[in-house]
Amino acid sequence: MPNMTLQEALTWIAEVFEEPAGRIVRDTKRSEIPGWDSLGTLSLIAALDERFDIQLAEDAIEGLRGVADLLDVLRERGALAEA
Amino acid sequence: MSRHSIEGLRIAGVSTCVPARIENNLADDLGFDPDEVRKVVQMAGVRERRVVEPGTTAADLCFEAAEALLRELGWERDSVTGLVFVTQSPDYFLPSTACMLHQWLGLSDDCAAFDMGLGCSGYPYGLYLAATMLKAGGHRRVLMLHGETPSRFVAPDDQATRLLFSDAGSATALELAPDAPAAHFCLHTDGSGHAGLIIRGGAFRDRTPADPRDLWLRMDGAGVFNFTIKRVPPLIRDALEQAGCGVDDVDAYLFHQSNRFIMKHLMKKAGLSEAKVPMTIEDHGNCGGPSVVVTLTRCLGAERGAAQRLMMLGYGVGLSWGAAVVELPPSARLLHRDYSAAFPRQGAPEAGA
Repeated sequence: MPNMTLQEALTWIAEVFEEPAGRIVRDTKRSEIPGWDSLGTLSLIAALDERFDIQLAEDAIEGLRGVADLLDVLRERGALAEA
Repeated sequence: MSRHSIEGLRIAGVSTCVPARIENNLADDLGFDPDEVRKVVQMAGVRERRVVEPGTTAADLCFEAAEALLRELGWERDSVTGLVFVTQSPDYFLPSTACMLHQWLGLSDDCAAFDMGLGCSGYPYGLYLAATMLKAGGHRRVLMLHGETPSRFVAPDDQATRLLFSDAGSATALELAPDAPAAHFCLHTDGSGHAGLIIRGGAFRDRTPADPRDLWLRMDGAGVFNFTIKRVPPLIRDALEQAGCGVDDVDAYLFHQSNRFIMKHLMKKAGLSEAKVPMTIEDHGNCGGPSVVVTLTRCLGAERGAAQRLMMLGYGVGLSWGAAVVELPPSARLLHRDYSAAFPRQGAPEAGA
């Protein structure tokens, strides 16, 4: 499984939600990302699966409150190299 | 583990029938925000949908498909001893709509006719049931009809479903053929997801729901998406293993046309060549389980020089999913038509044209 730096992870998240790279930081909330709507959620599910072979349960997906939670998931699954 | 290989059946013909009326997703009069529509259309891949006129049902579409097929094949009506109508949009709760179709088609009393209530997984399940009826049930010829009118159970103002779902009917004629190659089936259920795609009201759990929206389909998009990603790649792998063949040995993978984005994801995940995954979602939408067979008739050539090994994949409401690997002989007739109410129905017609 590829192991990203924090900056690579933030860039990847920005791509998933079709946001400019600099807009996404660790503290960005889900509500602050226009692309993280119902369709964005589908893109996220597919991207996690395709890039990292990560499948999340529905309640885990719904429970993601922002970038920090997503980074935690990546870290727990060994996809993120640093805290 | 639910895997079965069944010998002795041959597909004699497949016929599909879709409504003539077309709804274009980018039309102005649907009442949705144009930018939102463009996003949904981009992801789902549905440009146009086929939608029944008021009063037309899945039974009407399937009747026309079946009548066209029986005439093409020249089958005597009393040679058909099995009639299965696979649907989640029946004309009635009671009787089985298959009984009405039995009358319309002029089949004999020596016929077992019944409905089977499955949707997205309906085609592989329907083939499986027909195969068992032929192999072990004493039948020689079975008609398996599979039709849906999702346009009639999605809320007109629900963008996620209105822009996706379309209508279709089909008939598949199967006959006993001792020399035919085996067909292979993998069939699964996860009932814990039964509420992910559901019409809560109108049936016997809640005949007159307090919330009128309970008469429409409720879909948990993310949950169904998640299910598809998790369950379909192993299904493809298991079906190949059951059929004893490799991924390149299948000539065409006929997917339930759920959503273009998810189909492309599944193709990549399962290592399928794009050339072997025909799609009809762009101009036929997601017509539920019958989308598998619409893709078959629309994309496989009417003239085929050799037998084709096909994998049919149905996945969704239930949650139910299944695969069938079958050989389509070059002699099998493939028909497709727009609904025109062209054929007379035997007996008193209660519905339809």
